Amino acid sequence: MNSAQFEIQLIASLVAIACAIPGTFLVLRKMAMISDAISHSILPGIVVGFFITQDLNSPWLILLAAFTGVITVALVERIQKTGLVKEDTAIGLVFPALFSIGVIMIAKNANDVHLDVDAVLLGELAFAPFDRLTVAGTDIGPKSLWVIGIILMITISLLIAFFKELKISTFDPGLSASLGFSPLIMHYGLMTVSSVTTVGAFDAVGAILVVALMIAPAASAYLLTTDLKKMLGLAVFFGVFSAITGYWVAHWLDASIAGSITTMLGVLFLFVYLLAPSKGLIAVMYRDKQQRIEVSLLTFLLHLKNHTEERERHVNHLNEHINWQKVKSETVLDLALKNNMIIINNKIVSLTEKGNAFTSQAIDYIITNEDAQIEDMKDDFFLFRG
Amino acid sequence: MNLQEYFSLVFSDYTLRTITLGTAILGAVTGMLGSFAVLRKQSLLGDAISHAALPGIALAFLITGAKDSNTLLIGALVSGLLGTFWIRGIINKTHLKSDTALGLILSLFFGFGMLLLTFIQKQPNANQAGLDKYLFGQAATLVESDVWLMAIITGICVVVMFLFWKEFKLLLFDADYTKTLGFNTKFIDILITTFIVLAIVLGLQTVGVVLMSAMLLAPAAAARQWTNNLSTMVVLAAVFGAFSGVFGTAISASQDNLSTGPVIVLVASVFVIFSFIFSPSRGLLFRQIRFISNRRDLELQKTLSFMYHIAETHDDISHPHTIKILNNFQGFTRKTLQKLVDKNYVTIDGTMWYLTEEGFETAANLYNQNIKKHE
Repeated sequence: MNSAQFEIQLIASLVAIACAIPGTFLVLRKMAMISDAISHSILPGIVVGFFITQDLNSPWLILLAAFTGVITVALVERIQKTGLVKEDTAIGLVFPALFSIGVIMIAKNANDVHLDVDAVLLGELAFAPFDRLTVAGTDIGPKSLWVIGIILMITISLLIAFFKELKISTFDPGLSASLGFSPLIMHYGLMTVSSVTTVGAFDAVGAILVVALMIAPAASAYLLTTDLKKMLGLAVFFGVFSAITGYWVAHWLDASIAGSITTMLGVLFLFVYLLAPSKGLIAVMYRDKQQRIEVSLLTFLLHLKNHTEERERHVNHLNEHINWQKVKSETVLDLALKNNMIIINNKIVSLTEKGNAFTSQAIDYIITNEDAQIEDMKDDFFLFRG
Repeated sequence: MNLQEYFSLVFSDYTLRTITLGTAILGAVTGMLGSFAVLRKQSLLGDAISHAALPGIALAFLITGAKDSNTLLIGALVSGLLGTFWIRGIINKTHLKSDTALGLILSLFFGFGMLLLTFIQKQPNANQAGLDKYLFGQAATLVESDVWLMAIITGICVVVMFLFWKEFKLLLFDADYTKTLGFNTKFIDILITTFIVLAIVLGLQTVGVVLMSAMLLAPAAAARQWTNNLSTMVVLAAVFGAFSGVFGTAISASQDNLSTGPVIVLVASVFVIFSFIFSPSRGLLFRQIRFISNRRDLELQKTLSFMYHIAETHDDISHPHTIKILNNFQGFTRKTLQKLVDKNYVTIDGTMWYLTEEGFETAANLYNQNIKKHE
């Protein structure tokens, strides 16, 4: 691994961390699509900034472009407030318009501007180490490394300083407002940080990857934990992990680094989406199935309690009467037997004492409209779950 | 070429005619289907789908090795649908919210698509150039067969919409009711989503991945402001979309270095802004006018009731008072006073005024809701 490779990975990792922090809050605040809007609508800001400064890494350009991002957010809110369209429509109207303005500005000045829409949208990390920052004649590293490093430092210090406020205003805006933290300042603060990060990162990784790096690690982390600090940590970890593995995949395929980091993020998310312990797809589907069987079991026990006549309690009758299929009846009967809720004599099913107690308590909960309590009761009664 | 030349050439010049027809048809079909997307609160779905179509284009090229636009569009369609249903899956089965799901699929699919595109570019296949036109679209690459394809799909779309109009409408406004009536909501839902994806995929070649969502939204959002009727809205959106296409093409053709996609989007945005401001029932301008006229009415009533309270203290209601005493009252202006005279509530005699019988009656019953006002 040579020094250029190391620098690329370092830049990618720093970008990943800088994106994961605001991204986590965006995902929690249900504003993920705002990051997409910002990443597109900063284009006119970048173009104007570039006309003025002629340098993609100039701090003025970053501030100007970030300001366009904040304007986008304000514009979306302004349109939404008129009540003429919904929020998502407002987002969908504003950013393509601003992006189009940017594209046209570039096209009209194509001859004298070294700026390419593809480059803005897709970035090229591989070239980042060649644009170096020299201070007093000595080379102190790639420019983008410094840019993203400074942005990251600011983001982290803001995060530490306002962690409590951010947390409250994210989870309970009403409480935070009544405690005296202005929701407006929090909101626009977060938007400003997101915009600055997006602008600072787009040059290295492109606008689309910025969106991916903001949303995907946070979304994956969201499926794994319910603790904000852990979520931040996991998001940062996922971001850095994808950045580094993505780099090596790109190296191997000889393809775009940005694209391959995004792909790694996608693979990572797919894994978490399928396998997350309690919120993953497989876990959710398993729990759904379990609950279906347990509800059937409860129905079955209630039926038994209601009927004393033997005809109604005959095993074969279940198929006809409750209209279950054979497999399902067997599963339910099996579960009931395993939990000692019923006994079967001569193919006649009867409730045991435990089954009777369970059913009576369940009826109590149902008629007092406290169905939710049944879930807790299951822990007391069930030896085996469905 | 200026705009006039454009319009004189549009019927004779093959390229111009093809492009103009293509963008007009595209605008119409996206406008129509966009109405449903906007009303179903799925505005950003278009954005996600258009980005999600990119890897499909790249994969279709990798598999077939040919740059036939129909094959690529099928790839885009498959990958767009895959993205759409994955978004559904994420929203339905996990705790993640719809915005996160949209942003995820959008950026992840697009990134994967970029990976494939850059991978293809390194391949020793001379055919690969020009795949990146799908990013920003190039209306200039439209040929007659593309326009035919668009026209056919638009035709199918219109027919299906006529056949399933009732179902679409029901599902749009009351999904639960539709289900209880016994309609197969899942089927209708998939049908409508598939057509939205289809419309988006059709537009990729012309306006590109990035700006396609605006084509879907803008005409529909503009049309929404003019009507509360679904069929009117769909027709209006189609008209707005078609006009955006034609005007956008005209403007971009009349200038150098102006790509068609962004111009069409900007024209559509102008339609939206115009509708937001000038729509008679919902527009900002008329809303403001209504607001001001309501405030004037209220001030008139305030003046009248102020006069009433003065007149009340006298035995004779037509006892004259000077106009001066109204001066420290906020709602009073010369104009409002004149209005009261016109309505025959007040009589002015030099610098004095007094309430008429009718004015006194009205003022006394100003807050009585049971009396119908004839204004």
